[in-house]
Amino acid sequence: MFDLEMNIKAWSDYLRTRGTLAEADVVELESHLRDQIDDLTSSGLNAEEAFLISVKRLGSVSHISEEFAKVNTESLWKQLLLDPIDPAEKARHQRSILLAILLALLAGTAARIPVLFGIKVGSLTYLKNLSFYILPFIAFFLAMRSGAPVKLRGVLAGIFALTLVVVNLYPSYEPYHTEALSAIHLPILLWFVTGAAYMGRGWQTSRARMDFLRFTGESVIYGSLLLLGLIVLTVFSLTIFQTIGVDLEPFVENYLLVYGGSILAMATVYLVEAKKSIVENFAPILAKIFSPLFLLTMLAFLVVMAVTGTSPYTEREFLIGFDLMLVLVLGMVLYTISAKNIHDGKNLFDYLNAALITVAIIVDVVALSAIVFRLSEYGLSPNKLAALGENVLLLVNLAALLVMYIRYFRGRSQFQAIEKWQTRYLGVYALWMAVVVFLFPLFFRFK
Amino acid sequence: MDVSKDLIAASATPLILAILKQRDSYGYEIIKQIRETSGDELVWTEGMLYPVLHRLEENGFVESYWQASEAGRKRKYYRIKEAGLVELEKHRQQWELVYSVLRTTLGNPEGRTNSDV
Repeated sequence: MFDLEMNIKAWSDYLRTRGTLAEADVVELESHLRDQIDDLTSSGLNAEEAFLISVKRLGSVSHISEEFAKVNTESLWKQLLLDPIDPAEKARHQRSILLAILLALLAGTAARIPVLFGIKVGSLTYLKNLSFYILPFIAFFLAMRSGAPVKLRGVLAGIFALTLVVVNLYPSYEPYHTEALSAIHLPILLWFVTGAAYMGRGWQTSRARMDFLRFTGESVIYGSLLLLGLIVLTVFSLTIFQTIGVDLEPFVENYLLVYGGSILAMATVYLVEAKKSIVENFAPILAKIFSPLFLLTMLAFLVVMAVTGTSPYTEREFLIGFDLMLVLVLGMVLYTISAKNIHDGKNLFDYLNAALITVAIIVDVVALSAIVFRLSEYGLSPNKLAALGENVLLLVNLAALLVMYIRYFRGRSQFQAIEKWQTRYLGVYALWMAVVVFLFPLFFRFK
Repeated sequence: MDVSKDLIAASATPLILAILKQRDSYGYEIIKQIRETSGDELVWTEGMLYPVLHRLEENGFVESYWQASEAGRKRKYYRIKEAGLVELEKHRQQWELVYSVLRTTLGNPEGRTNSDV
């Protein structure tokens, strides 16, 4: 006996497991299926025939979820990860894995090139160029997948080449502050460039940029997991070889870390890009768990600072800690924003996010006043100026987010307004990173 | 007659908005109405309709609400909004423009425009 109810339920459950559809979409499609079945039964078919025909008419589940994935805000990328069913898709999939492996090996080899020129792994010059060993390869991979137009690829390649030349032509003198600043800011700048490869044609649209933010957040999470694995492997190999009296350290430093690192980076990008369904339901949960914890930590920090009367104005480490915390919190806030489904109404986590932003603003103001104090006390230095610029950018960003959140809570504007503004503001960060990398050395005479 | 995929995609938005202008409706009914009005010539797939509907909602042209059907099932209805009416009017003008150019051009086999005469 054909059980219609059970079959419909099995069908909709299958839709759910695909992960590309929101619950509301599944209910909507199920209601559609039932309408179709009703129509067919009233024209004389039996339940089983009606069910089979209706399911067939709705199209294959993978086709439906693929179509939905194109509109679901969360998932510009999801269209890429549907399990390949047809052979052509499978072949493409395999090519993509091969490409990733090849690029990882190339990146590892690129990371070995400076060593041939006598630059030690771990020296400032080596670290300064870190982004060039891996990011161009990642950008290439992402551009292949996003189908970025040839012109855009050319421009991106040009930026990479130009930056490589400029950064290495700049001289550097004691105490190497601007060079160190370059080393810190360059990866961020070039990550934005890589982002353009990820976004492809639509790099100026708010949705593509939001996806890029999500992609970044998820890469951080995945990358950390893989890094843990690499560390375990390294320690393990060092230990077992030590027991037989072989010192593996030179090998580890020169090969394992270099190749392991580039494979790790490539694997991260590949996994986040191609296997998103696995992290998809997992990453927003992480954001939800950690945003209250961050809020508590920051509140505790402010309270302890007020109670003990310790001033961040004198301690340099304090300031660096502040900045790190702010960047982390902003990342958290952005990630939470990007993980939100705009079809959901406002919920507890929006308020939490707004609270987090408020506390971050307070921390930022403290940090800013400390920097201004140090500037007036000890004079201008590249580090302080860079910190000042970044804190001002962060403050503007946080304040604007807070204002827009309040407008959103009052029902005066839509959530998309927040996303739009935030994605446009990303350009300002990229610009500032470029200023620090290219103009600071000139301004401070390469010291 | 086989309507090309591109034309179906391009005409989806104005057709959906026009249907919703008549009255609130839901996915299944929209597809049915299109098929019937076109005498079975325009057959939309669900995989095409729902994404368009959801995009229209995201752009603020339509809004949705849940209501129980006659059989007591949850059904998602769509209602056109003010912005949707404006958008529909834009589409109407565009289609009329295209159609009038096509008609005039076809009516002038010599390739002359009206002003030449």
